[in-house]
Amino acid sequence: MKGVELKSGDLEGLFKGLLDKKVVDSLILPHRVGNNVAHMMVTDKDKVEPPVPAIFAPSFSVNAANVVKGWLIKEKIGIVAKPCEIRAAIELIKLKQMDKESVLLISVDCPGAFTNQDYADHAEEIGDWVDSAKIEELKGKGIAIREACEICDKRLADVGDIGIVRRDGDNVVVVGITDMGVEALSAIEDISLEDKDIDRSGEIEKIASEAKKKKDALPEISSVEALEEFLRDCIVCKNCRDMCPVCYCKECFFDQPLGNPVGGDLLNIAELRGAIAVPANQLMYHLTRVYHVSTTCVGCGACEDACPKDIPLTRLYPVITKKVQEIFEYVPGKDVEEPLPFTVYEEEELEDKLR
Amino acid sequence: MGEETTKKEEEEFEPKIVGFTCNWCTYAAADLAGTSRKKYPPNSRIIRLMCSARLDPMFVLKALLNGADGVFFSGCHPGECHYIKGNYYARRRIAAIRTILKQLGLDNRFKSYWISASEGEKFANTMKGLTEEIKELGPSPLRGKVL
Repeated sequence: MKGVELKSGDLEGLFKGLLDKKVVDSLILPHRVGNNVAHMMVTDKDKVEPPVPAIFAPSFSVNAANVVKGWLIKEKIGIVAKPCEIRAAIELIKLKQMDKESVLLISVDCPGAFTNQDYADHAEEIGDWVDSAKIEELKGKGIAIREACEICDKRLADVGDIGIVRRDGDNVVVVGITDMGVEALSAIEDISLEDKDIDRSGEIEKIASEAKKKKDALPEISSVEALEEFLRDCIVCKNCRDMCPVCYCKECFFDQPLGNPVGGDLLNIAELRGAIAVPANQLMYHLTRVYHVSTTCVGCGACEDACPKDIPLTRLYPVITKKVQEIFEYVPGKDVEEPLPFTVYEEEELEDKLR
Repeated sequence: MGEETTKKEEEEFEPKIVGFTCNWCTYAAADLAGTSRKKYPPNSRIIRLMCSARLDPMFVLKALLNGADGVFFSGCHPGECHYIKGNYYARRRIAAIRTILKQLGLDNRFKSYWISASEGEKFANTMKGLTEEIKELGPSPLRGKVL
């Protein structure tokens, strides 16, 4: 693998170089807003801010892939984001919602993130970077990372075109993962690529086993009654859909008359059943969404963050969809060339899953 | 006496089963079962699809949420699709939705079969078996709920 070892301060030069050399026409970068971290889209290299306090900050606001969903123009955009955001972008490429040639995906190591509200409230205590010991320490103080991050087993910058790997102290290693990534890095003058052999399998295993432990400890939704109780507070605002990076239909079924009945339609349904819950289709909405994202859910937890009623949707979407992904042995966002499970088939398969 | 009451109660529960069948095979098999005067329980309501691949898993969800006690799907045997590969795609979708339903304990109310146009007898027997199974399960937990 080709890569280069840098100080984290040098990343500013790298991002400026990408814009300067027209490798990308714009960049989505995390940046500081007061205490907090949000995304910005830069086209002018002079507007690139020093990335250090923002780029590794463990704060999750919006999934960056959701912002550039539908990027089907020729102009190239670079996305510097957490692995879950990059994996969502890869799924969107496969779903033909983004053009593979016009996005440069740059993933950044993620230790797990706090909601941006939590991060802003405790920015001083949390700081610019946390490791697993610090996360435990903060948890003791009642400041916990998002549940989606606790159960996430793919936090390392090994997806996308370029990975920014955090090393001890101030050091980072920037690696080109795909040919496009290597080409992009080679275009920058100050950087000379060398062969970097990064073996992180030990780290990956450790993260995966901890994540599995956390996941197994979550309360499970194991019956319809449990699901009803779980969704008791849902007001069908559909924020979870809007913030989901991989929920991409231009016209959602639940915005149309059948899915969102009004007036006479609503009365007809009520008459059919005698009594219905309103807003209508609550269970149908969530179950349909579970199915629709069943192979592509990257488990970023944006749905939970978006829920105004604080329903812990991580226990629903990533947990159930993972079981579907397992039967197809599919890991969303792993490889842009791997076809989506519903677009291919084997002649002999799955017969034990049908009855 | 006790035995009789249970039997009576069982008889009182007539499950409602919604079926989605492919026009080219199972729908014809149902026809064949009828014309060959094969007897099978009248609990299923069949909805004809032009191909297995027309089965949107949302149909299954909707049927179950609206209180169907059972749902089944039946299409051409793999490799024998009228449109060559529709049932392969359908099989993947069915496996996915059943995985989701399994989490909710509803997977035993959604079955799928492969029944070709000539298998009228198999269709009749399948319906008998399915109706028995659903009867044993009892009414759907979603039946009559305010949903």
